[in-house]
Amino acid sequence: MGKTVDIDVRHVTRIEGHGNIRVRARDGTLETVEWLVPEAPRFFEAMVRGRSWEDIQTIVSRICGICSVTHSLASIKAVEAALGVEVSEQTRKLRTLTHYGEQLESHVLHIGYLVAPDLLGQKSVVPLASTHPDVVRSVMAAHCTGNRIMEVLAGRKTHPVRLVPGGFTLLPTEAELRDLKTRIENAIEHLKVIADVVLDHLDDLPVFERETEYVATVDEPTYPFYHGLIGSTDTDELVPVEDYARVGNEYVTPRSTAKWTRWHRDSYAVGALARFNLNADHLGPLAFEAAGRMGLEKGCCNPYMNNVAQVVECFQVAEHSLEILDEVLARGLEAGKPEVKPGAGEGVGSVEAPRGILFHRYEFDDAGRCTSADICIPTNQNHASIQEDFEALVPQILEEGQDAVRQKMEMLVRAYDPCISCSTHFLKVEFV
Amino acid sequence: MKAPIAVVGLGNPLLTDEGVGIRVVEALGNRPIPAGVVILDLGAGGLCVLHEIAGRQKVIFVDCAFMGEAPGTLRRFTPEEAKSRKVQPRLSLHEGDLFQTLDLARDLGECPEEIVLFGIEPASVAPGDRLSDALLARLDHYVDCILRECSGSFTAGTDTVP
Repeated sequence: MGKTVDIDVRHVTRIEGHGNIRVRARDGTLETVEWLVPEAPRFFEAMVRGRSWEDIQTIVSRICGICSVTHSLASIKAVEAALGVEVSEQTRKLRTLTHYGEQLESHVLHIGYLVAPDLLGQKSVVPLASTHPDVVRSVMAAHCTGNRIMEVLAGRKTHPVRLVPGGFTLLPTEAELRDLKTRIENAIEHLKVIADVVLDHLDDLPVFERETEYVATVDEPTYPFYHGLIGSTDTDELVPVEDYARVGNEYVTPRSTAKWTRWHRDSYAVGALARFNLNADHLGPLAFEAAGRMGLEKGCCNPYMNNVAQVVECFQVAEHSLEILDEVLARGLEAGKPEVKPGAGEGVGSVEAPRGILFHRYEFDDAGRCTSADICIPTNQNHASIQEDFEALVPQILEEGQDAVRQKMEMLVRAYDPCISCSTHFLKVEFV
Repeated sequence: MKAPIAVVGLGNPLLTDEGVGIRVVEALGNRPIPAGVVILDLGAGGLCVLHEIAGRQKVIFVDCAFMGEAPGTLRRFTPEEAKSRKVQPRLSLHEGDLFQTLDLARDLGECPEEIVLFGIEPASVAPGDRLSDALLARLDHYVDCILRECSGSFTAGTDTVP
C-alpha cells in the first residue's frame, strides 16, 4: 500500500500575505498539493499616491528590511525616467556598489540562516553557533561587510537615506571607500569558508529538475543587477523595462489564491539561478571558479541550486565591487547632482532584487505628485513556479513518507526565499 | 569607538503602530541625548541588530509588542522575563524574531551585558503612515521613559494607560 501523507505548514502571524504548504495523499494517491499564498498586500502602492516624487524613495524603502536598497533604487530609477533625469557615471557606479552591499548581505544571510541549518542537520541557525562556530562567524563577517557597504554609501545599514533621484545627498569619503576595499577583500576569504560548507553538502540538496523559463536582467557583456533589459531563457528577444507588463502577465488561476505571472509558459522563475542561467558567461574569475567547483552549469533547472547560484553571486558582487572601488578611487569623487524639475510624466524602474527582477512604475501630475503606482515584486513572479515545482516534485518523493516530503517542500520554498512577511517586525510575547 | 549604550527603534512606520519604535527614536532625535548614548533606527532590518549591539554595554529596544495589555501601554522587560509566542516555519529570511537574534548574539559571545526591551501595545497594525491617536498622545511619555532608562532612573515595569 502507498504512503498516506498529510502536511499543513502554516505561517502564523497577523499580517496577510503569507505562504502555507498543504499536501494530502491517501494510499499513494496524491489528492492535493498546494502553495497557498493570499494576494500580496498592495497597500504600499496606495500609500505613495498623492505623495511628492521626493517622498517615494523614503516610503518604499520601508517595504522590506532585507531589500530596502533594491526598492529604493527601483523607485528612484522610475522617478528619474518619469522626470527625464540623467545621472552621472559616478552615480551609476556608486549605486551599483550600494546594491551589491545588499545582494551580499541578503545572499549570505539566506545561505547562513536558512540553507546551512538544512545542510548541517539543525533546526535553525541558533544551534549552529555552537556546533559550527567558524561557519556562523564567516556568515556574520560577510553579512557585516554587506551592511557596511550600505552604511557607507547609503547612510544606513538598512532603509537608505542618501539615495535620491539625481544621485546621493552625501558622498562617502575616499578613506571610507579604501576601508571598504579592505573589508571586501577579507569578506572574500569568509565567502570561501561558506562555499566550502555548501560544496561539502551538495549531495544533501535534493536531486530534482523541472525545465522552465528563467527571466532576469540582461546587459551584455556584464552580469547585471542594476541596469539592463529583460531577458528570458525561452527567447532571444530583450524587452525594455518600460514594457514589463508584457513579461509579468498577471493571471488568475483556480490553482492558487494569488495572481500568477507568465510569459512564454504558465510560469517562470526569477532570482539567482535565473540570473546565472542568462548571464553566467559574464561572471568574474572568482565567481566563475566557484560555479565550476560547485558544479553549477548554465541551463541548470534544479530549483534547489538557487542556493548555489547565490554563493556564486556573492563572489561576483564582491569581485566587481573591488573593480568599481578601484575605478572610483582612481578618478576621484566629484560632488554635485543634476537638478530635478518636477512635472508630469510616467516612468518604470527595474533592478534585480536578491530574489529576482523587480519593477516599479509611477505616474506624476504637473506638480510632481504621484497619481498611480505599480510594484511588481519577484516573490509574486515566483509563486506559479513554486506551485509547478511542488506538482512535479511531490509525486516523485511521495514514497519517502511524511517527514521527508515536508522537509523537501520546505527546502524548496526556502530556496526561493519568498518575501512573505518582510514588512513587519513586531514582538508577540507572553511573560514568564 | 562604539557608544556604550544604544537605544534601538524597531518596526515598520508604514503599518501604523507597528512603527512606534521608529517614531520614538525619531522623537528622541529632538531631545538632548545623554553622553555615551546612541540612537538607532534599525527598522525591519532584522539581523543587522546583531552587528549594532555587539561591543556595547547596554541596549534598549523599543518596539511594538502584542502583550495582551490595553493599547498604548508601555512595558519594560528583559529577555529573561518574556518568551516569544511567534510561530515561524523558517520558510523565509523575512521572518524576524528579536528573541532568536538575541539568543544567537549570546551564543556568539557578542551580546551586551544588559538588554532591556520597551514593548508598546498597538491599537492598530493596519496600513497607515502615522501612529494611532492612542499612541500618538503618549509619544512624549514614551520618550521620557526611554531617557529615564538611559540615566538609570526608570523603575516601573508596566505603565498603564491613564
